[in-house]
Amino acid sequence: MPRVYRRQRIWLARFVRRYPLGAAAGIAILGLTALAGLANQLAPYDPLANDFGTMFAAPGARHWFGTDAFGRDVLSRVLYGARTALLVGFAASLVGATIGGIVGVAAAYFGGTTDLIIQRLADIMISFPIIILALAIVAILGSGTFNLIAAIALSFVPRIELVVRASALSVRETTYVEAARAIGARHWRIVFRHMVPNVTAPYLVMLTAFLGQAILLEASLSFLGLGVNEPTPAWGLMLSGAAVEFVQRAPWMAVFPGLAITFTVLAFNVLGDSLRDALDPRLRT
Amino acid sequence: MARYLTHRLLLMIPTLLVVAVIIFVLVRVIPGDIVELRLVSGGSFVTASVIEAERARLGLNKPIWRQFVDWMSGLPRFDLGTSMWTAAPIAKEIALRFQLSLQLAIMSTLIAVTLALPLGIAAAVRRGTWVDHVVQILSVAGLATPSFWLGILLLLFLLSNFHWLPPLTFTPLWVNPKANLLQLIWPALAVGYRYSAVTTRMTRSAMLEVLQEDYVRTAWAKGLAQRVIVIRHALRNAMLPVVTVIGLEFAFLIGGLVVTEQVFNLNGIGKLFVDAIARRDYTMIQGLLLLVATVYIVVNFLIELLYVWLDPRVSYG
Repeated sequence: MPRVYRRQRIWLARFVRRYPLGAAAGIAILGLTALAGLANQLAPYDPLANDFGTMFAAPGARHWFGTDAFGRDVLSRVLYGARTALLVGFAASLVGATIGGIVGVAAAYFGGTTDLIIQRLADIMISFPIIILALAIVAILGSGTFNLIAAIALSFVPRIELVVRASALSVRETTYVEAARAIGARHWRIVFRHMVPNVTAPYLVMLTAFLGQAILLEASLSFLGLGVNEPTPAWGLMLSGAAVEFVQRAPWMAVFPGLAITFTVLAFNVLGDSLRDALDPRLRT
Repeated sequence: MARYLTHRLLLMIPTLLVVAVIIFVLVRVIPGDIVELRLVSGGSFVTASVIEAERARLGLNKPIWRQFVDWMSGLPRFDLGTSMWTAAPIAKEIALRFQLSLQLAIMSTLIAVTLALPLGIAAAVRRGTWVDHVVQILSVAGLATPSFWLGILLLLFLLSNFHWLPPLTFTPLWVNPKANLLQLIWPALAVGYRYSAVTTRMTRSAMLEVLQEDYVRTAWAKGLAQRVIVIRHALRNAMLPVVTVIGLEFAFLIGGLVVTEQVFNLNGIGKLFVDAIARRDYTMIQGLLLLVATVYIVVNFLIELLYVWLDPRVSYG
């Protein structure tokens, strides 16, 4: 392995030793990503294929997780649902954290009126529960996977912005930023070359903390019919409608997608906690 | 102190004003209006003049600034206008649902706090033992479990064992306390688990921090009983972040339970919001968003007041 990666390798080894649970969660997430990526090879059935001959079939040798109200294979739908969940989760928290991070650094760097306006806006956005904010944005943009990602990402922005700004404020006062300013570096150069790299810790911590949240939000909004559209397999969609209506007749319709959500969010949260402890213990909440 | 409080209270007015402006703009950006939705989406043929007449009746043909002035001028009188869908006054529609949401929020808070405080304290005092591990596992799992899924599982359990189905209508507490509590206890449990997980984690980490303080060591050295040290010396000082979390979660529950209310067939603020969005009921969406933001701002203010009571060192001079 090239020398440049040595530091990262040492860091990773220490992380695994000190946070075995976090490392296990990381491996679980890699496994989940592999399952989602290979869904088309692993899924025993077409997740969209209706089969009215086997409606509400109980879990068994042919259908491990049973079938739903349309005779669709629940296992195949859970596997394909992982694609939706991970796609929305990663994309939304990555976009949200990146925008929030840049705005936070800019607010801290420029200060004054810019900072004041950004902070007031962030305060106001935070006064709505995340799900209400996401719902309102989805109402404006319309449902569908892409709009859902945008809505979740946007509702994360103010929350991440506040945390990153707080860290960036102390970076702004460092001598190297002062030195950069003294030699006449441009604003964007100071922001992107000197300040952004020094707030990576809170950025990464917030990013992982919001991954699990994004997946929960995707499930909630899809459940309400305002997220991913049918017939795309998504865990939240699988829990809505027939799963509740026929919960006694076919409990597997509700149990398995819910377990998938819980397990995935759990893995992301555990990894996030360990990463926070390792990178920036001050952010403990 | 009194000056600070009046200052803070007065400051709420411009904040809410800005919130109101943002909400108003946000809602007008939602594509498609209620008239199209109600008259045209049914597939029936409607002449343009009918649509125009309906828009005029709802005041949608007035210029935007005029609609804004109309809305704002009602606010000081708590007049939020009338619902574009049901034609009933918004304030009345919201009041109907508010008692349900408020009661559910209070019940969930009670469940969460009675679970979280003892568990969080025990985990912190017995750090690293099996007690700590069990509490940690319970709370990490609580954060990952979607409340609405837990609700579905509860429904399954109740259906299979007691043939209980969520009632179609809400029974207020003073009409029939037993029926009311039986109806709300299950959603309160489903929501309370997640809520208690958040609070437990906060209690544990705040207690861990306080237990390391010098004055706690002094208390031990004086030979005080563990009970006294933990409850009187440590807990009281660890309460600030815990109270904050409880308050913020409480504010979230008013209106934030959009999904759990759906599962339990409850007609609360959250369900009203989802319905209002589906119907493009501008006035209703505006009213609800304003309510949610107001609750949040007021709760934050109350949290600050609690700080003073909990920690005499905090004073807003």
